[in-house]
Amino acid sequence: MDEMPKGNPPPEPAAQPAQAEVSRRDFLARALRASGGAFALLAGGGAIASDGERYDWEAHRWAYLIDTEKCIGCGSCVRACKAENGVPDGYFRTWVERYLISPEASHVDSPNGGMDGFPPLQTAFEPTKSFFVPKLCNHCKETPCVQVCPVGASYRTKDGVVLVDGKRCIGCGYCVQACPYGSRFISPETHTAEKCTWCYHRITKGLKPACVEVCPTATRQFGDMKREDDPVRLAIAHGRVVVLQANLLTEPQAYYLGIDMEVR
Amino acid sequence: MEHARHVFRVLLVLLLVIVVVIVGRSFLVPKSFGMYGNYRYDNVPEQMAARPPLHGGARSCADCHDERSAVLAKGSHARVSCEVCHGPLGRHVKDGDVVAKMAIDRSPRLCGNCHRKIDGRPPKFPQVVFEKHVEGGLGPKGCLDCHDAHSPKL
Repeated sequence: MDEMPKGNPPPEPAAQPAQAEVSRRDFLARALRASGGAFALLAGGGAIASDGERYDWEAHRWAYLIDTEKCIGCGSCVRACKAENGVPDGYFRTWVERYLISPEASHVDSPNGGMDGFPPLQTAFEPTKSFFVPKLCNHCKETPCVQVCPVGASYRTKDGVVLVDGKRCIGCGYCVQACPYGSRFISPETHTAEKCTWCYHRITKGLKPACVEVCPTATRQFGDMKREDDPVRLAIAHGRVVVLQANLLTEPQAYYLGIDMEVR
Repeated sequence: MEHARHVFRVLLVLLLVIVVVIVGRSFLVPKSFGMYGNYRYDNVPEQMAARPPLHGGARSCADCHDERSAVLAKGSHARVSCEVCHGPLGRHVKDGDVVAKMAIDRSPRLCGNCHRKIDGRPPKFPQVVFEKHVEGGLGPKGCLDCHDAHSPKL
Protein backbone atom coordinates (compact mmCIF):
# COMPACT_ATOMS: atom_id res chain seq x y z
CA MET A 1 0.00 0.00 0.00
CA ASP A 2 3.03 2.27 -0.20
CA GLU A 3 2.56 3.32 -3.78
CA MET A 4 -0.29 5.66 -4.48
CA PRO A 5 -1.40 7.15 -7.79
CA LYS A 6 -0.91 10.87 -8.36
CA GLY A 7 -4.48 12.13 -7.85
CA ASN A 8 -4.37 11.97 -4.09
CA PRO A 9 -0.90 12.86 -2.83
CA PRO A 10 0.35 10.51 -0.14
CA PRO A 11 0.72 12.05 3.30
CA GLU A 12 4.08 13.72 3.61
CA PRO A 13 6.39 12.47 6.33
CA ALA A 14 5.88 14.46 9.48
CA ALA A 15 8.43 16.85 10.83
CA GLN A 16 9.74 14.79 13.64
CA PRO A 17 13.26 13.69 14.46
CA ALA A 18 14.24 11.23 11.77
CA GLN A 19 14.96 7.79 13.05
CA ALA A 20 16.87 5.15 11.15
CA GLU A 21 15.69 1.59 10.72
CA VAL A 22 15.14 -0.04 14.06
CA SER A 23 17.53 -2.77 14.96
CA ARG A 24 16.40 -5.76 16.92
CA ARG A 25 18.34 -4.52 19.93
CA ASP A 26 16.59 -1.15 19.67
CA PHE A 27 13.24 -2.80 19.26
CA LEU A 28 13.65 -4.96 22.33
CA ALA A 29 15.03 -2.10 24.38
CA ARG A 30 12.04 -0.01 23.39
CA ALA A 31 9.59 -2.75 24.09
CA LEU A 32 11.07 -3.06 27.57
CA ARG A 33 10.95 0.66 28.17
CA ALA A 34 7.44 0.86 26.82
CA SER A 35 6.24 -1.90 29.09
CA GLY A 36 7.76 0.09 31.94
CA GLY A 37 5.27 2.85 31.20
CA ALA A 38 7.74 5.29 29.67
CA PHE A 39 5.51 6.06 26.69
CA ALA A 40 5.80 9.79 27.10
CA LEU A 41 9.54 9.82 26.44
CA LEU A 42 9.09 7.96 23.19
CA ALA A 43 6.06 9.90 22.08
CA GLY A 44 7.70 13.23 22.77
CA GLY A 45 8.85 13.88 19.22
CA GLY A 46 5.66 12.70 17.54
CA ALA A 47 3.17 15.34 18.52
CA ILE A 48 4.82 18.16 16.62
CA ALA A 49 2.76 19.65 13.81
CA SER A 50 4.44 20.53 10.54
CA ASP A 51 4.79 24.21 11.43
CA GLY A 52 6.89 23.27 14.42
CA GLU A 53 4.27 24.29 16.96
CA ARG A 54 3.37 21.74 19.54
CA TYR A 55 -0.08 20.25 19.41
CA ASP A 56 -1.14 18.45 22.56
CA TRP A 57 -3.77 15.91 21.65
CA GLU A 58 -4.61 15.33 25.31
CA ALA A 59 -5.67 18.96 25.73
CA HIS A 60 -8.60 18.68 23.31
CA ARG A 61 -11.65 16.55 22.68
CA TRP A 62 -13.35 17.68 19.53
CA ALA A 63 -17.08 17.62 18.93
CA TYR A 64 -19.32 18.68 16.05
CA LEU A 65 -22.72 20.33 16.23
CA ILE A 66 -25.22 20.52 13.37
CA ASP A 67 -28.20 22.83 13.76
CA THR A 68 -30.40 21.51 10.96
CA GLU A 69 -32.98 24.27 11.42
CA LYS A 70 -30.43 26.70 9.96
CA CYS A 71 -29.33 24.64 6.96
CA ILE A 72 -30.28 26.17 3.61
CA GLY A 73 -28.88 23.34 1.50
CA CYS A 74 -26.43 25.54 -0.43
CA GLY A 75 -23.80 22.80 -0.63
CA SER A 76 -20.88 25.12 0.21
CA CYS A 77 -19.65 22.60 2.78
CA VAL A 78 -19.58 19.76 0.27
CA ARG A 79 -17.65 21.87 -2.24
CA ALA A 80 -15.21 23.06 0.43
CA CYS A 81 -14.60 19.51 1.64
CA LYS A 82 -13.93 18.31 -1.89
CA ALA A 83 -11.44 21.10 -2.51
CA GLU A 84 -9.75 20.95 0.88
CA ASN A 85 -9.28 17.19 0.92
CA GLY A 86 -9.10 16.31 -2.78
CA VAL A 87 -12.02 13.91 -2.48
CA PRO A 88 -12.48 11.88 -5.70
CA ASP A 89 -15.47 12.65 -7.95
CA GLY A 90 -18.61 10.81 -6.98
CA TYR A 91 -17.39 10.17 -3.42
CA PHE A 92 -18.12 12.28 -0.38
CA ARG A 93 -16.63 12.79 3.06
CA THR A 94 -19.57 15.02 3.84
CA TRP A 95 -22.85 15.46 2.03
CA VAL A 96 -26.25 17.09 2.46
CA GLU A 97 -29.58 15.25 2.35
CA ARG A 98 -32.97 16.78 1.60
CA TYR A 99 -36.03 15.41 3.39
CA LEU A 100 -39.56 16.00 2.12
CA ILE A 101 -42.07 14.48 4.51
CA SER A 102 -45.80 14.16 4.91
CA PRO A 103 -47.66 11.93 7.38
CA GLU A 104 -48.25 9.43 4.56
CA ALA A 105 -45.06 9.50 2.57
CA SER A 106 -41.50 10.74 2.56
CA HIS A 107 -38.79 11.42 0.02
CA VAL A 108 -35.05 11.76 0.62
CA ASP A 109 -32.52 12.82 -1.98
CA SER A 110 -28.97 14.09 -2.21
CA PRO A 111 -28.15 14.84 -5.86
CA ASN A 112 -24.36 14.64 -6.23
CA GLY A 113 -24.15 14.91 -2.43
CA GLY A 114 -25.72 18.36 -2.61
CA MET A 115 -22.50 19.66 -4.12
CA ASP A 116 -24.26 21.58 -6.91
CA GLY A 117 -27.10 22.74 -4.70
CA PHE A 118 -30.60 21.30 -4.91
CA PRO A 119 -32.95 21.63 -7.89
CA PRO A 120 -36.66 22.26 -7.30
CA LEU A 121 -38.42 18.95 -6.87
CA GLN A 122 -41.93 17.74 -7.63
CA THR A 123 -43.10 14.88 -5.45
CA ALA A 124 -46.21 12.75 -5.88
CA PHE A 125 -47.35 13.86 -2.42
CA GLU A 126 -47.66 17.26 -0.81
CA PRO A 127 -44.84 17.54 1.74
CA THR A 128 -45.94 18.97 5.07
CA LYS A 129 -42.40 19.52 6.26
CA SER A 130 -39.06 19.66 4.55
CA PHE A 131 -35.50 20.28 5.67
CA PHE A 132 -31.84 19.63 4.92
CA VAL A 133 -29.53 17.44 6.97
CA PRO A 134 -25.75 17.68 6.56
CA LYS A 135 -24.05 14.35 7.15
CA LEU A 136 -20.47 13.39 7.86
CA CYS A 137 -18.50 10.90 9.91
CA ASN A 138 -19.86 10.94 13.45
CA HIS A 139 -16.45 10.17 14.96
CA CYS A 140 -18.06 7.71 17.35
CA LYS A 141 -16.51 6.89 20.70
CA GLU A 142 -17.46 3.22 20.29
CA THR A 143 -16.59 2.88 16.65
CA PRO A 144 -17.75 -0.19 14.76
CA CYS A 145 -15.34 0.71 11.94
CA VAL A 146 -12.26 0.61 14.16
CA GLN A 147 -13.35 -2.65 15.78
CA VAL A 148 -13.53 -4.52 12.49
CA CYS A 149 -10.25 -3.31 10.98
CA PRO A 150 -8.05 -6.40 10.68
CA VAL A 151 -4.74 -4.52 10.33
CA GLY A 152 -5.03 -1.69 12.83
CA ALA A 153 -5.35 0.97 10.12
CA SER A 154 -8.45 2.61 11.62
CA TYR A 155 -8.13 4.21 14.99
CA ARG A 156 -9.46 6.92 17.25
CA THR A 157 -7.05 9.59 18.45
CA LYS A 158 -6.94 10.88 22.02
CA ASP A 159 -8.55 14.13 20.89
CA GLY A 160 -11.52 12.13 19.59
CA VAL A 161 -11.00 11.89 15.84
CA VAL A 162 -11.41 8.65 13.91
CA LEU A 163 -8.68 8.35 11.28
CA VAL A 164 -7.46 5.88 8.69
CA ASP A 165 -3.77 5.12 8.27
CA GLY A 166 -3.51 4.94 4.49
CA LYS A 167 -0.19 3.14 4.67
CA ARG A 168 -1.62 0.31 6.79
CA CYS A 169 -5.01 0.01 5.11
CA ILE A 170 -5.30 -2.98 2.81
CA GLY A 171 -8.59 -1.82 1.30
CA CYS A 172 -10.63 -4.81 2.46
CA GLY A 173 -13.70 -2.64 2.97
CA TYR A 174 -14.86 -4.19 6.24
CA CYS A 175 -15.04 -0.74 7.84
CA VAL A 176 -17.12 0.58 4.93
CA GLN A 177 -19.70 -2.09 5.67
CA ALA A 178 -19.42 -1.73 9.44
CA CYS A 179 -20.19 2.00 9.49
CA PRO A 180 -23.93 2.42 10.07
CA TYR A 181 -23.80 5.99 8.77
CA GLY A 182 -22.22 5.30 5.37
CA SER A 183 -19.38 7.68 6.13
CA ARG A 184 -16.58 5.66 4.58
CA PHE A 185 -15.64 4.65 1.06
CA ILE A 186 -12.81 2.91 -0.73
CA SER A 187 -11.01 5.57 -2.74
CA PRO A 188 -10.70 4.71 -6.43
CA GLU A 189 -7.33 6.51 -6.38
CA THR A 190 -5.57 5.02 -3.37
CA HIS A 191 -7.70 1.86 -3.06
CA THR A 192 -7.74 2.43 0.68
CA ALA A 193 -10.57 3.45 3.01
CA GLU A 194 -11.14 7.18 3.26
CA LYS A 195 -13.38 9.27 5.43
CA CYS A 196 -13.90 12.63 7.07
CA THR A 197 -10.97 13.52 9.33
CA TRP A 198 -12.62 16.66 10.73
CA CYS A 199 -9.79 18.21 8.68
CA TYR A 200 -7.17 16.93 11.10
CA HIS A 201 -4.53 18.91 9.20
CA ARG A 202 -6.48 22.10 10.02
CA ILE A 203 -7.78 21.56 13.55
CA THR A 204 -4.31 20.67 14.82
CA LYS A 205 -3.20 24.10 13.58
CA GLY A 206 -6.00 25.97 15.34
CA LEU A 207 -8.24 26.24 12.26
CA LYS A 208 -11.78 24.96 11.86
CA PRO A 209 -12.70 22.14 9.47
CA ALA A 210 -13.26 23.49 5.95
CA CYS A 211 -16.99 22.70 6.01
CA VAL A 212 -17.46 24.69 9.22
CA GLU A 213 -15.31 27.51 7.88
CA VAL A 214 -17.54 28.11 4.86
CA CYS A 215 -20.97 27.42 6.35
CA PRO A 216 -22.84 30.72 5.77
CA THR A 217 -25.58 30.06 8.33
CA ALA A 218 -23.53 28.54 11.18
CA THR A 219 -25.42 25.27 10.76
CA ARG A 220 -22.14 23.47 11.21
CA GLN A 221 -20.15 24.22 14.33
CA PHE A 222 -16.99 22.70 15.68
CA GLY A 223 -15.79 22.86 19.25
CA ASP A 224 -13.67 21.48 22.02
CA MET A 225 -15.40 19.58 24.83
CA LYS A 226 -12.41 20.18 27.08
CA ARG A 227 -12.92 23.96 27.00
CA GLU A 228 -15.47 24.98 29.63
CA ASP A 229 -16.70 28.05 27.72
CA ASP A 230 -16.74 26.52 24.27
CA PRO A 231 -20.01 27.43 22.45
CA VAL A 232 -20.41 23.90 21.10
CA ARG A 233 -19.79 22.38 24.51
CA LEU A 234 -22.37 24.77 26.00
CA ALA A 235 -24.89 23.97 23.26
CA ILE A 236 -24.46 20.25 23.83
CA ALA A 237 -24.55 20.69 27.60
CA HIS A 238 -27.68 22.86 27.64
CA GLY A 239 -29.50 22.14 24.39
CA ARG A 240 -31.70 19.17 23.53
CA VAL A 241 -29.35 17.46 21.16
CA VAL A 242 -29.65 14.05 19.56
CA VAL A 243 -27.23 11.75 17.80
CA LEU A 244 -27.98 9.60 14.78
CA GLN A 245 -29.03 6.00 15.47
CA ALA A 246 -28.44 6.29 19.19
CA ASN A 247 -29.83 2.76 19.59
CA LEU A 248 -26.61 1.37 18.14
CA LEU A 249 -24.65 2.70 21.14
CA THR A 250 -21.84 3.96 18.95
CA GLU A 251 -21.73 7.22 20.95
CA PRO A 252 -21.38 9.63 18.01
CA GLN A 253 -19.56 12.89 18.65
CA ALA A 254 -21.50 14.73 15.94
CA TYR A 255 -24.60 16.15 17.64
CA TYR A 256 -27.76 17.32 15.89
CA LEU A 257 -30.30 20.00 16.74
CA GLY A 258 -33.81 20.12 15.33
CA ILE A 259 -33.73 16.74 13.67
CA ASP A 260 -36.69 14.54 12.73
CA MET A 261 -37.17 10.85 13.53
CA GLU A 262 -37.11 10.18 9.81
CA VAL A 263 -33.37 10.93 9.78
CA ARG A 264 -31.04 7.98 10.29
CA MET B 1 20.72 -40.05 28.18
CA GLU B 2 18.75 -40.67 24.99
CA HIS B 3 15.67 -39.10 26.63
CA ALA B 4 17.60 -36.01 27.67
CA ARG B 5 18.70 -35.49 24.05
CA HIS B 6 15.08 -35.59 22.90
CA VAL B 7 14.13 -32.96 25.43
CA PHE B 8 17.12 -30.87 24.41
CA ARG B 9 16.10 -31.04 20.74
CA VAL B 10 12.57 -29.91 21.51
CA LEU B 11 13.88 -27.02 23.59
CA LEU B 12 16.24 -26.02 20.80
CA VAL B 13 13.43 -25.96 18.25
CA LEU B 14 11.29 -23.97 20.66
CA LEU B 15 14.09 -21.44 21.17
CA LEU B 16 14.56 -21.17 17.42
CA VAL B 17 10.83 -20.49 16.95
CA ILE B 18 10.91 -17.79 19.62
CA VAL B 19 13.91 -16.13 18.03
CA VAL B 20 12.33 -16.26 14.58
CA VAL B 21 9.12 -14.73 15.92
CA ILE B 22 10.94 -11.92 17.71
CA VAL B 23 13.16 -11.13 14.74
CA GLY B 24 10.22 -11.40 12.34
CA ARG B 25 8.10 -9.08 14.46
CA SER B 26 10.80 -6.45 14.63
CA PHE B 27 10.80 -6.32 10.84
CA LEU B 28 7.07 -6.59 10.24
CA VAL B 29 5.55 -4.42 12.96
CA PRO B 30 5.98 -0.67 12.33
CA LYS B 31 7.98 1.03 15.03
CA SER B 32 5.26 3.15 16.56
CA PHE B 33 2.56 0.47 16.37
CA GLY B 34 0.89 -0.20 19.70
CA MET B 35 2.26 2.85 21.48
CA TYR B 36 -1.24 4.14 22.28
CA GLY B 37 -3.44 1.41 20.91
CA ASN B 38 -3.82 -0.97 18.02
CA TYR B 39 -2.49 1.48 15.43
CA ARG B 40 0.65 3.14 14.13
CA TYR B 41 1.11 6.30 16.19
CA ASP B 42 3.38 7.87 13.56
CA ASN B 43 0.28 8.25 11.40
CA VAL B 44 -1.02 10.97 13.73
CA PRO B 45 1.71 13.52 12.89
CA GLU B 46 1.47 12.31 9.29
CA GLN B 47 -2.23 13.21 9.27
CA MET B 48 -1.45 16.63 10.77
CA ALA B 49 0.89 17.32 7.88
CA ALA B 50 -1.18 15.45 5.28
CA ARG B 51 -1.72 18.61 3.21
CA PRO B 52 -1.45 22.37 3.68
CA PRO B 53 -4.77 23.99 4.64
CA LEU B 54 -6.47 25.29 1.49
CA HIS B 55 -9.17 27.45 3.06
CA GLY B 56 -7.88 30.56 4.79
CA GLY B 57 -10.94 31.42 6.80
CA ALA B 58 -13.18 34.44 7.02
CA ARG B 59 -10.58 37.00 8.01
CA SER B 60 -7.64 35.97 5.85
CA CYS B 61 -8.92 37.89 2.80
CA ALA B 62 -9.07 41.23 4.64
CA ASP B 63 -5.27 41.41 4.77
CA CYS B 64 -5.26 42.51 1.13
CA HIS B 65 -8.92 43.29 0.39
CA ASP B 66 -9.95 45.37 3.38
CA GLU B 67 -12.18 47.69 1.32
CA ARG B 68 -14.24 44.72 0.10
CA SER B 69 -14.35 43.25 3.59
CA ALA B 70 -15.63 46.56 4.97
CA VAL B 71 -18.49 46.60 2.45
CA LEU B 72 -19.25 42.95 3.19
CA ALA B 73 -19.23 43.51 6.95
CA LYS B 74 -21.92 46.21 6.66
CA GLY B 75 -24.21 44.27 4.35
CA SER B 76 -26.58 41.39 4.81
CA HIS B 77 -23.90 38.97 3.61
CA ALA B 78 -21.71 39.86 6.60
CA ARG B 79 -21.72 36.30 7.88
CA VAL B 80 -21.00 34.76 4.50
CA SER B 81 -17.31 33.95 4.25
CA CYS B 82 -15.58 35.09 1.03
CA GLU B 83 -14.68 31.50 0.23
CA VAL B 84 -18.34 30.46 0.03
CA CYS B 85 -18.70 32.21 -3.34
CA HIS B 86 -15.08 32.64 -4.45
CA GLY B 87 -13.66 29.25 -3.54
CA PRO B 88 -10.66 28.42 -1.37
CA LEU B 89 -7.93 30.97 -0.72
CA GLY B 90 -5.23 28.39 -1.46
CA ARG B 91 -6.05 28.55 -5.18
CA HIS B 92 -5.38 32.30 -5.18
CA VAL B 93 -2.47 32.76 -2.76
CA LYS B 94 0.34 30.38 -1.89
CA ASP B 95 2.98 31.28 0.73
CA GLY B 96 1.95 34.94 0.56
CA ASP B 97 2.23 35.21 -3.24
CA VAL B 98 -0.67 35.52 -5.66
CA VAL B 99 -0.57 32.43 -7.87
CA ALA B 100 -3.87 32.77 -9.74
CA LYS B 101 -6.80 35.13 -10.09
CA MET B 102 -9.63 34.42 -7.73
CA ALA B 103 -12.60 32.84 -9.44
CA ILE B 104 -15.59 35.14 -9.76
CA ASP B 105 -18.82 33.39 -10.64
CA ARG B 106 -21.44 35.99 -11.59
CA SER B 107 -24.06 33.50 -12.72
CA PRO B 108 -27.54 33.40 -11.15
CA ARG B 109 -26.82 29.73 -10.50
CA LEU B 110 -24.38 30.72 -7.75
CA CYS B 111 -26.93 33.01 -6.07
CA GLY B 112 -29.53 30.30 -6.60
CA ASN B 113 -27.53 27.81 -4.55
CA CYS B 114 -28.78 29.71 -1.51
CA HIS B 115 -31.66 31.89 -2.68
CA ARG B 116 -33.62 29.91 -5.23
CA LYS B 117 -36.92 28.93 -3.68
CA ILE B 118 -37.04 25.19 -3.03
CA ASP B 119 -38.58 22.93 -0.44
CA GLY B 120 -36.27 22.33 2.49
CA ARG B 121 -34.95 25.83 3.16
CA PRO B 122 -36.08 27.49 6.38
CA PRO B 123 -39.18 29.57 5.44
CA LYS B 124 -37.71 32.76 6.91
CA PHE B 125 -34.60 32.55 4.75
CA PRO B 126 -34.77 35.02 1.81
CA GLN B 127 -35.59 33.03 -1.35
CA VAL B 128 -37.10 33.84 -4.71
CA VAL B 129 -38.71 32.02 -7.60
CA PHE B 130 -36.40 33.17 -10.41
CA GLU B 131 -39.13 33.08 -13.05
CA LYS B 132 -41.44 35.30 -11.01
CA HIS B 133 -38.87 37.53 -9.30
CA VAL B 134 -38.18 39.78 -12.30
CA GLU B 135 -40.78 40.69 -14.87
CA GLY B 136 -39.66 39.33 -18.24
CA GLY B 137 -36.92 37.19 -16.69
CA LEU B 138 -33.40 38.00 -15.51
CA GLY B 139 -31.36 40.61 -17.39
CA PRO B 140 -27.92 40.16 -18.99
CA LYS B 141 -26.07 40.43 -15.69
CA GLY B 142 -28.48 38.15 -13.90
CA CYS B 143 -29.01 38.98 -10.26
CA LEU B 144 -26.19 41.54 -10.33
CA ASP B 145 -28.31 43.87 -12.51
CA CYS B 146 -29.96 45.02 -9.29
CA HIS B 147 -28.04 43.48 -6.39
CA ASP B 148 -24.47 44.02 -5.20
CA ALA B 149 -23.19 40.57 -4.28
CA HIS B 150 -21.26 41.96 -1.31
CA SER B 151 -24.18 43.96 0.04
CA PRO B 152 -27.25 42.54 -1.67
CA LYS B 153 -30.06 44.31 0.17
CA LEU B 154 -31.63 46.97 -2.05
